[in-house]
Amino acid sequence: MSTPLLQVDHLSKAFGKVVTANNLSFEIHAGQITSIIGPNGAGKSTLINMLSGSVSVDEGRVFLKGKEITHLPTHRRVRLGLCRSFQVVNVFPALTVYENIQIPVLSQAGKAHHFFRSLSREVKAEERVMEELERVNLVKQAHTLAGKLSHGDQRLLEVAIALAVRPFLLFLDEPTAGMNPVERAEILENIRRLSAGGRTTFVIVEHDMDIVFSLSDRVMVLYRGEIICDGSPDHVKSDEKVRECYLGEEVV
Amino acid sequence: MGRYVPYLLFGLVGLVLLGIGLFSGRFVLYLTMRVMLLSIFALGYNLLLGRTGLLSFGHAAFFACGSYGMSLCFLHVTPNPLVGVFAGVCLAVLAALIIGFFCVRHTEIYFAMLTLAFGMMVFSLVWNLRSITGGDDGLVGIGRAPCLGFPIARDSQFYFMVLVFFALTVWVIHRIRSSAFGLVLAGIRENPQRASFAGVSVRLYRLAAFVISGAFAGLAGSLAAMLESNTNPFSAHWTHSAEPVLVSLIGGLQTFSGPIVGSVIFVVLREIIERFATNWMLWFGILLLVIIMGFRGGAMGRIEAFFARKATPRGEEGRP
Repeated sequence: MSTPLLQVDHLSKAFGKVVTANNLSFEIHAGQITSIIGPNGAGKSTLINMLSGSVSVDEGRVFLKGKEITHLPTHRRVRLGLCRSFQVVNVFPALTVYENIQIPVLSQAGKAHHFFRSLSREVKAEERVMEELERVNLVKQAHTLAGKLSHGDQRLLEVAIALAVRPFLLFLDEPTAGMNPVERAEILENIRRLSAGGRTTFVIVEHDMDIVFSLSDRVMVLYRGEIICDGSPDHVKSDEKVRECYLGEEVV
Repeated sequence: MGRYVPYLLFGLVGLVLLGIGLFSGRFVLYLTMRVMLLSIFALGYNLLLGRTGLLSFGHAAFFACGSYGMSLCFLHVTPNPLVGVFAGVCLAVLAALIIGFFCVRHTEIYFAMLTLAFGMMVFSLVWNLRSITGGDDGLVGIGRAPCLGFPIARDSQFYFMVLVFFALTVWVIHRIRSSAFGLVLAGIRENPQRASFAGVSVRLYRLAAFVISGAFAGLAGSLAAMLESNTNPFSAHWTHSAEPVLVSLIGGLQTFSGPIVGSVIFVVLREIIERFATNWMLWFGILLLVIIMGFRGGAMGRIEAFFARKATPRGEEGRP
């Protein structure tokens, strides 16, 4: 088998006495939608924070496409193709929707440092921004301030910003929280399509089990900083330990 | 049609400035030069404050670097004014690189306090290195040799050199603000975390903004040394760092022309108040209070908002 997209090797992290990651090792392969589930405090967010560079790791190593990224700063990881979206709305509020997408597009194209060239002359970037906006259906709101969008649209924009850097690997932290059913369907459709498109591999943290089991090719269950189950949705559904710790009656 | 109005206005201002240079008396000339120098200082500074969202209290240090760099070059190397200005700007850039390297690791109040601390260090160096900087006397006798063959010894001649540098500054800052780099700076102001997840090295871009603003502070400083024909050690004092902050606030942090308008208000008002009252700081404080409490967004911010509302009913335009 070829090198995995992401390889996590004996990763550990503790905040004081609270162990949020205990010797985690796993691989993520390109093209597979992976979901990470687990009860609150299981260490899902910390895991994403460590992999995306917001939180330092205590022990262990992380490889992206075979290249070690354990200690790289966030922006370098993004440039290598690893990005994430956030649980809470995290956009550039006083900039227009268009500009919100423009920043990651310019940065991805290596044009962010052009300090003497008018933005209106970055034609290629302009086309790409419109492409990204079309994808999430925000063209009409292109010149609205991001902070004035509805909550659902802001979430959509947030995902769009993450997609605009054209990542190979994208972590989505509860991508559908606070969205209405229509928006939810739209974003899920987008994830499916982009995943099938082959460029971007998605890793999703989600609480909504319907979404998790309908969308994922693989589900990882975290509990107190350890992976207690890892496999296909059906395998996870029928696992005794998972039922005990997390799923409870819900799925049965 | 509407989008050409700012260019028209700037053309008009240019004409007025030319007119002042050709036909005005010495006092108005001097005052206008002071306004332009403060504008250069504040235009650069506002790239850091209004655009990148970093409040520095140490930019007087770079202004002084410009002044002393220019003067030392004049006294020890060559009287050529352009070489002097270049030396002043280079010294300011070097200082901004070193100081900025440490400061951009922090934000908000920590950033402000660090710049203040570094600014005070530079002031005490200027004050104590008597053999180099002249201590509390400053360096005196900075002359104005011809520049590219044009004599600039008289104020009415030097005025045009200041005007050229002022125009150059306006142009460069405008280009930077409308570039990709300028947009990224606004993104960093709005949400540094998101910016880094857009693949931007927040620290590096903050440092770049810091150095650019330091360079313009140095430019203003070197021209000021030529205007006053001496250097003032208090130009490195932290109270001088407050000037571009106030000027940007008065004119409007989020506008391009704000620092220029603020400089006009600051210099002219100070001149007027000093005629009638002994304590101009008191009156100026009161004015500042009115502007901050009543005119959020500064003079230009208010004017722009007014016209934006007339043009588009909701007035929903971005402010990168």
